[in-house]
Amino acid sequence: MPSPAHDEILTTITEIVAAELGVPVSELPPQRDLREVEGADSVKILRSVAKIERRYDIEMDDDDVFSLHCLDDAAAVIAKTLAQSRA
Amino acid sequence: MQIADTNQHYDLDPAIFGSFLDPLRKYSCGLYQADDDTLETAQLRKLRFVADRLGLRGGERVLDVGCGWGSLALFLARELGCSVVGVSPSPQQVAFVAGQAAQQGLADRVQVQLGHFEVVDLGRGGFDAVTMLGSIVHMPDLAGAYRRSRTLLRRGGMLYVSESCFRSATLRARFSGEADDIFVRDSIFGWGDMRPLSELVCAAEEAGLSMVSLDDLTDHYRRTISDWLANVRAHQETIDAIYPGMAVRLVRYLETANAGWGYTTKHYALVCRAAR
Repeated sequence: MPSPAHDEILTTITEIVAAELGVPVSELPPQRDLREVEGADSVKILRSVAKIERRYDIEMDDDDVFSLHCLDDAAAVIAKTLAQSRA
Repeated sequence: MQIADTNQHYDLDPAIFGSFLDPLRKYSCGLYQADDDTLETAQLRKLRFVADRLGLRGGERVLDVGCGWGSLALFLARELGCSVVGVSPSPQQVAFVAGQAAQQGLADRVQVQLGHFEVVDLGRGGFDAVTMLGSIVHMPDLAGAYRRSRTLLRRGGMLYVSESCFRSATLRARFSGEADDIFVRDSIFGWGDMRPLSELVCAAEEAGLSMVSLDDLTDHYRRTISDWLANVRAHQETIDAIYPGMAVRLVRYLETANAGWGYTTKHYALVCRAAR
């Protein structure tokens, strides 16, 4: 099974994070710093990470988990992790 | 001394805890097996698990440090005929456990001492087992707590410690002091230090204890707290009627704890023997 492309991952995780933060998808452009989104906090962001990991059945590196700032970064990390897990 | 403040959360009206814990008011991790296990089932299974890990067969003398509302002490006395001494720094908890012991006809087998484990008078010692479920996190002197446990155990006696831990020393250095950590530590409990497991093991070794078993209970605590959260939300009005604003604080505390499991924190059960 081919790995999902960056844009496909981005769409999926944007929906997951929007639901967790309680904001519309339009509030989450790929480059926006998640910590600046109104209502976002470290607990909600960590919960989003947990849901994303479950969705893709992956465990991201600690360094990546704790330094995620925007969804674009997150999609890149997920693509990298998926590629590693299928290598 | 900072430990005096540790009472603030546990000394709240027991009715608050009765509204979101299981019927035995066990304020620590349960043990789940099936998807449809209730909180009550999981907590009962956990009590049996503790007894099994300690190798209790019946009639032993047990010291329960940080006995809470007495779930373990009363269980061991009732189910296994153990003689149990519970210790709590909370007057509300001590009164509650003494009342339960009398009500259940266990007053001759369950004693409760008010005070801090580090200094309270526990007589001659010689206990067959010492249990510390989520209490060592509130004790600033870790080495002293282990040494005291070792002294109070008979030769070959068993120590059960279950605790929430930062997942590593590196993560503790990074996250201890973050806003959510400070909220839970200071505004809920008064004092707490989620030492990494390596520190708990090191202190046990230095106290002359031998390691017997280690269980990772992290997933069980996540599910326990999810059940507590559902109960807090279902009984928000009752909780706020006793202590206005408490439901929101509890939700924040419990949600923070649950978001961290596996990422920043773990929950372990460590069993040691007082023997070479």
